[in-house]
Amino acid sequence: MREKLTNPEHVRTWPGSIPVEYVYTAGVAGEAYLRAIKERGRLAASACLGCGTKYLPPRLYCERCFEKTGEPRDVEARGTVETFTVAHRDLEGRQLEPPVVYAFVRIDGTAGGLVHRLGEVDPGDVHIGLEVEAVFLPPAQRTGSILDIAHFRPVRHRPAAT
Amino acid sequence: MPERVAIVGVGHSDIRSITPGLSCKEMMYEAAARAYEDAGVNPRKDVDSFICVSEDFWEGTSIYDEYVPDQLGGALRPVHTVTGDGIHALACAAMLIRTGMARVVVVEGHSKHSDMRTPAHIHNFAYDPIYHRPLEAHPHHLAGLEMNRFLHVTGNTREQCGLVVKKNLANALLNPRAVYGARVSLEDVLGAPPAFTPLGELDIARPADGGFVMVVAGERAIAGLAGEPVWITGYGWCTDTPALDSRQWGEAAYARLAAQQAYRMAGITDPFRELDFAEVDDSFSYKELEHLEALRICRPGEAGSWLEEGVTLPSGDFPVNVSGGSLGVGHLLEATGLHRVYEVVLQLRGQAGGNQLPDVARGLAQSWRNLPTTTGCVVILERA
Repeated sequence: MREKLTNPEHVRTWPGSIPVEYVYTAGVAGEAYLRAIKERGRLAASACLGCGTKYLPPRLYCERCFEKTGEPRDVEARGTVETFTVAHRDLEGRQLEPPVVYAFVRIDGTAGGLVHRLGEVDPGDVHIGLEVEAVFLPPAQRTGSILDIAHFRPVRHRPAAT
Repeated sequence: MPERVAIVGVGHSDIRSITPGLSCKEMMYEAAARAYEDAGVNPRKDVDSFICVSEDFWEGTSIYDEYVPDQLGGALRPVHTVTGDGIHALACAAMLIRTGMARVVVVEGHSKHSDMRTPAHIHNFAYDPIYHRPLEAHPHHLAGLEMNRFLHVTGNTREQCGLVVKKNLANALLNPRAVYGARVSLEDVLGAPPAFTPLGELDIARPADGGFVMVVAGERAIAGLAGEPVWITGYGWCTDTPALDSRQWGEAAYARLAAQQAYRMAGITDPFRELDFAEVDDSFSYKELEHLEALRICRPGEAGSWLEEGVTLPSGDFPVNVSGGSLGVGHLLEATGLHRVYEVVLQLRGQAGGNQLPDVARGLAQSWRNLPTTTGCVVILERA
């Protein structure tokens, strides 16, 4: 009666696992987005035919007014850090060394954006409002995934040509 | 005029960081037996319908709803499961009664978090499979992103979030249900290892196991029951878009709209004056501040200074999370909302022990369905 269990795996448990595998269909709008990334090193946005809201990633429909959207159009993979975090743990809960900076980047000229990694910057130099641009993998290495973007980095304003 | 509805019995299994001695179903049975004793009902005779809240991936079973009836006394009776938060299930129970479908309804929610070996992976499966999940980030990185934006937009500070942790962990010391009570200083919170900045290790509610059962009855059925009624006078729920590119960063719009619905039903126009206290979602420290502002209990940008002034302390003008909240009690997955309701019920009955507030007649419980969701529920409860 006074026995106390301290490790649930020592007694009366049965291990189980679920092999969970899917193929997720990107859809009409999603495919346009991933093709723009893979084939042209750009992002894509679609504008609502009703209210004009420009979605990125593109969508087939507008969530605000429920109208259809127009054809996705390419946009430059540049934007502004709307918020960021420095992650010190990975998916397994292990310490990340060095830590990884994630940001939500609002893409210029659109109402949309995406969460991605920031690179080529010291975490201490990242701030809300920082202008960033995507760094794409070389075309031959791209697979049609958001991972075709290696990371976003601060925009370097070149000095004027002399 | 629809029938008035009340919670007439509550029960829970022992809340713990691990529960190796009981299966999940036995935990639910323990909670149910205590709730039925409290209400004075026999589930095989007196209950018309049973509602469970659960998520298959947390349970490790593809059809968890089919595993629900027997331990609640609900075999061969109307039973259904809703996903979301326990307050969704409580609202369903109230609606079954108000539409005349049932007189007495049982609601159940639970967490057997300790049964999961890979909770972060399961959690990550909730993230968008094409646009987000390939980053393979720990799911809590999204809380870091949210917190940073919330502080930027509202002017609340990281230190004020630390005061939430200090308050709730201290409150939990007086709550026998709480797993994580502790006396910590602001320096302890700010000096804890960084997790997903500005979020530190101590700003994140840790998981716990526990089951909650509530017996809900209409006014006409209450006369024959033993339990002391606590009236459900308003409820609401709301979900924003799941898309990270179009959701409202920096504000819990889902909670604002869910509260609007609940306040309208309860006839509340000034929540700060018309409510006595609240149990609000604090799965992460900043969420308590964000939710207080969304609920219009304080003005936008004011929640942090309330912490500093002690307004939300048990002794303050508007006590918040006197129970210790999720930070102090432990996070209970979909049962989290029911736990908050439980704490409000005890307060209104005058049974909250060391946490008891003086002279409380009306309280609010609010839940959030955790990352990456934008779903919130609100319920208003009143003493007879």
